[in-house]
Amino acid sequence: MKPLAVTGLGVVSPLGIGWSAFVEGLEDPSREVFSTESSLFDMGPYEGARVGEVRGFDAAKIIGDKGLRNNDRLTKLYLVAARLGLEHAGLKAKGAWTAYGPDDVGVVAANAFGSLEAIHELNTVARLEDPRYINPARFPNTVINSSLGYVSIWEDLRALNATVVSGPAGSVESVGCAEMYLSNGRAKAALVGGGEALSESLVLALHRVGMLAVRPAEGAVLAVLEPEPAARARGATVYATVTGYGTAFEGPDDDDRLFAPSQKALERAMRAALADASLAPSDVDVVASGLAGYAPLDGPESAALAAVFGGATRVASPKERLGETFGASGAMALAWCVAQMRAGGAATAIIPSLGFYGNASAMIVRRAEQ
Amino acid sequence: MTPRVYITGMGVVSALGLGRRDFWASLLAGRSGASPVESFDASALDRAVAAEAKAFRARDHLTARELRDAGRCSAMAIAAARMAVADARLPHEALRTERASVVLGTTMGECDVLSRLDDAWIRRGRDAVDRADVARYSPSLLPIHVARALGSKGMVLTLPAACAAGNYAIGFACDLIRAGRADVVVTGASEMLQELQYCGFLRLGALAPERCQPFDLNRQGLVVGEGAGVMVLESEAHCLRRGATPLAEVGGWGIACDAYHITRPHPEAMGSVKAMRDAIARSGLGPAEVDFVNAHGTGTRANDAVETRAMRDVFEGRRVPISSVKSMIGHCMGAASAIEAVSCVETVLSGLYPPTIGYDTPDPECDLDVVANAPRAGAADVVLNNSLAFGGYDAVVCFAKVGRLAPPADRAVTQ
Repeated sequence: MKPLAVTGLGVVSPLGIGWSAFVEGLEDPSREVFSTESSLFDMGPYEGARVGEVRGFDAAKIIGDKGLRNNDRLTKLYLVAARLGLEHAGLKAKGAWTAYGPDDVGVVAANAFGSLEAIHELNTVARLEDPRYINPARFPNTVINSSLGYVSIWEDLRALNATVVSGPAGSVESVGCAEMYLSNGRAKAALVGGGEALSESLVLALHRVGMLAVRPAEGAVLAVLEPEPAARARGATVYATVTGYGTAFEGPDDDDRLFAPSQKALERAMRAALADASLAPSDVDVVASGLAGYAPLDGPESAALAAVFGGATRVASPKERLGETFGASGAMALAWCVAQMRAGGAATAIIPSLGFYGNASAMIVRRAEQ
Repeated sequence: MTPRVYITGMGVVSALGLGRRDFWASLLAGRSGASPVESFDASALDRAVAAEAKAFRARDHLTARELRDAGRCSAMAIAAARMAVADARLPHEALRTERASVVLGTTMGECDVLSRLDDAWIRRGRDAVDRADVARYSPSLLPIHVARALGSKGMVLTLPAACAAGNYAIGFACDLIRAGRADVVVTGASEMLQELQYCGFLRLGALAPERCQPFDLNRQGLVVGEGAGVMVLESEAHCLRRGATPLAEVGGWGIACDAYHITRPHPEAMGSVKAMRDAIARSGLGPAEVDFVNAHGTGTRANDAVETRAMRDVFEGRRVPISSVKSMIGHCMGAASAIEAVSCVETVLSGLYPPTIGYDTPDPECDLDVVANAPRAGAADVVLNNSLAFGGYDAVVCFAKVGRLAPPADRAVTQ
């Protein structure tokens, strides 16, 4: 692929709100990210579980409170990340366009599950009261793509609006999709990445399948991506470039399985991303892995990393500090890579992204030449 | 060199039958798929009609493992995909490769599974939430179930885009082939009727009492439908290699976002006009060369008036024949434009426009050449498929007779 420049990062994570909070939070290992408490729901039934909530998150403080009343948490996380990303990239200042315009900019981003919070809220009314009482103003929140729809409305982004779902591989897939849309001239720049909101539905589901050790977390990262020459031409700061992408699917050998993370698919996706970037495995300085302390996923990922990199490349685990943000995890890893590169820590990184059902994706991030 | 993208096979699950032949025959016969809702108890609601795919029984199409793991949405997608592959006479070896991908759209995905999970929690407590069902919920499962059924090894992608999801998927699938990232893409969309959605549309005041009457003066809203439309897309070279006969070519496609309101269309049809113009220009054509438009035509007051405005702006007053098959199959939400894409290709093949049934009284505000109540024969070399969804998601795909369009390299790329 032709390199895409990362010219801005809108980050809302358990480390805080904004790029500076993210970078400072990463540099301060004493900063506790995870807690057995949540302000969103009672963690009592999930004894010992720890979650990475965006503490004190108040979207109104950043984007104003007009019209936010019926928005769910996922939407608000996206909205704040979008505003921060556009401003970080120099496309907007104080809400007004400073480069490009509404017809030039789109949104392509992932979430893994839709708004479980909104669906549960409406289902509860429908089940315990009456389906005729569900709030029509909140009904759109049940639609998987509505959260990003609000981003376009809020920021007046008219070029295109695409939600990508591919489980935990969604963010990396969104970069692959954005590359296609941008290279076909459907937008000049796009907010790309992912978001995921904590909810009791999510924690309960993970509890039931014995997966709470991953430390579920929330947040949104929307990076401004644009073709590198255009970014340079408008004098933007290029924080990093994405230079390769790959994806693969492998059905399980045992057809009876549904949950079937595939080492082979991840190997193929990583090799495809490397080839797309014209790199050899030895060119990679760091793997921003998805390792999160859940053996059924960490096993195949570690095996795929060993097969491709042979143990010679540093393997980092951004999720140690950021938790498992599912549809946002690849975008969190992208932000993590940029932070490492800005600190001079690495020149070339790969982000592997292993899905639950045999799908996998990967992308290559490189330090920008200034 | 950028390849042409051909459609070589199609599969449909809808209220008007299974498979493209039954589906198309029913459309030409002007049959209505609307009937009393059976999949949930609607007796307490003000509305009780939908276009359910009542003839679809998952067990007729799925393996035992698939039946266990797939929700109704995936089940319809698997069935339609198998029909499409059979229709394309595509050998299994052509699918069991990294060069074969699956890209599907939806609005709610496996919402019956999620509803089951929520129901257990709400009524019986946390411990009643079924562990196996948790793994069955992800919206990402639609293309994965299909990829497993077909053996494909390339990209698996879900694009949720409200009621434009089908066109999002088909458009993206074309781009994959044109960019050389795939030779074969199985694409389309699937959506099931569900109580929560039904009640949501009801509460928004969008549901018609009995009939969906697009562009009619007395139209009262939409009738919710369900189903799946899936097509096999192949690069020109792949078609040639295996000696396949293409049904039609996918031309350009356009996309835009109104960025206006989460349920109301832009009053000046801004995004719709841009998406339609883009689809035409990216096909290497001008507006005068479009023969027929498959309308988004939901039968709501707002949509039909705004779509009329888009038609007037794009075609500069020329009265291009237009029809909405939603009058028959209902509004199949995320699957709508994928199912209607099948209808568009049948139009290209047959030179017949499907009717808009229930068109009794023309609306001066919708001053269009509506194909009223009976099919009509006409030029059908170039057909547009409009999808102008809630949230301002506008996606329009152009389908053309094989040989009608200039080679991709000679078409405009950007406007």
